[in-house]
Amino acid sequence: MFFHIVLERNMQLHPRHFGRNLRENLVSKLMKDVEGTCSGRHGFVVAITGIENIGKGLIRDGTGFVTFPVKYQCVVFRPFKGEILEAVVTMVNKMGFFAEAGPVQIFVSNHLIPDDMEFQIGDMPNYTTSDGSVKIQKDSEVRLKIIGTRVDATEIFCIGTIKDDFLGVINDPSAG
Amino acid sequence: MDDDSNVFFPRILNRYEDEPAEPEIEEGAEEDVENPNNEDVTGEPLETEDKEQRQPVERPRKTSKYMTKYERARILGTRALQISMNAPVMVELEGETDPLEIAMKELRERKIPFTIRRYLPDGSYEDWGVDELIVEDSWKRQVGGD
Repeated sequence: MFFHIVLERNMQLHPRHFGRNLRENLVSKLMKDVEGTCSGRHGFVVAITGIENIGKGLIRDGTGFVTFPVKYQCVVFRPFKGEILEAVVTMVNKMGFFAEAGPVQIFVSNHLIPDDMEFQIGDMPNYTTSDGSVKIQKDSEVRLKIIGTRVDATEIFCIGTIKDDFLGVINDPSAG
Repeated sequence: MDDDSNVFFPRILNRYEDEPAEPEIEEGAEEDVENPNNEDVTGEPLETEDKEQRQPVERPRKTSKYMTKYERARILGTRALQISMNAPVMVELEGETDPLEIAMKELRERKIPFTIRRYLPDGSYEDWGVDELIVEDSWKRQVGGD
């Protein structure tokens, strides 16, 4: 799920970035530092949409650096248990397959793939139904449900299932 | 955070003209490391003493309007360090190259963009801009005997 939230961060700024462009330098450094990162609490920071306020800087002794508390609005993406996501399959093997929904890696074990789908080995390993009508291979788009998340400080990893109604392949690259 | 090392020294804040004006109540909310009794009181009168500490600018400041030699030393040192790290210089240079010399010139022209935070024994503080303080020292020494 995506959220638009306000976060705060203390930014250390090098003295060479002072002067009239201090604000711009601070914001560009913030974007470089924060966008694309992942925190266990808030999820992935997708984009910074605005700066709420920049507090007064505090000079760090001995280094000459200045720490500014910056409040910024950003879009974060955090997967939740039970959430339905659409993802692109990146790797298929006999244990299941990996899919990516934006920055999140999701693993779908073969226990969580419908029983009528069989693993087919080959140069393009895939899961196929017995009648061959549905095929999951690399670059397939699947709709899946997250049944478990592992949230580290800097990483989120999910376990998904397609063994439910309305889940599974939504667009097959080989068929199209 | 190495804030604990600062207890005995006035805090120096950086200040720039193009920084947005912000409500004074907010000030210091993020740097209360050594004032654990300063909970976030913005308006509600929990303890009058506490409230006084939160709003240092509301009452007249009572510390000296003279810059102490310790403040001067720390400001010059910090500023010289920043200048040596390529911070933009706030004064017109006339051939000076030594960072400390440039910092002294900036101080003389009151162009050092710092604010001194003077902590009082009760934990409250007063903010003084470097440009407000009177620096009483022979300028001769500051320009290095020039």
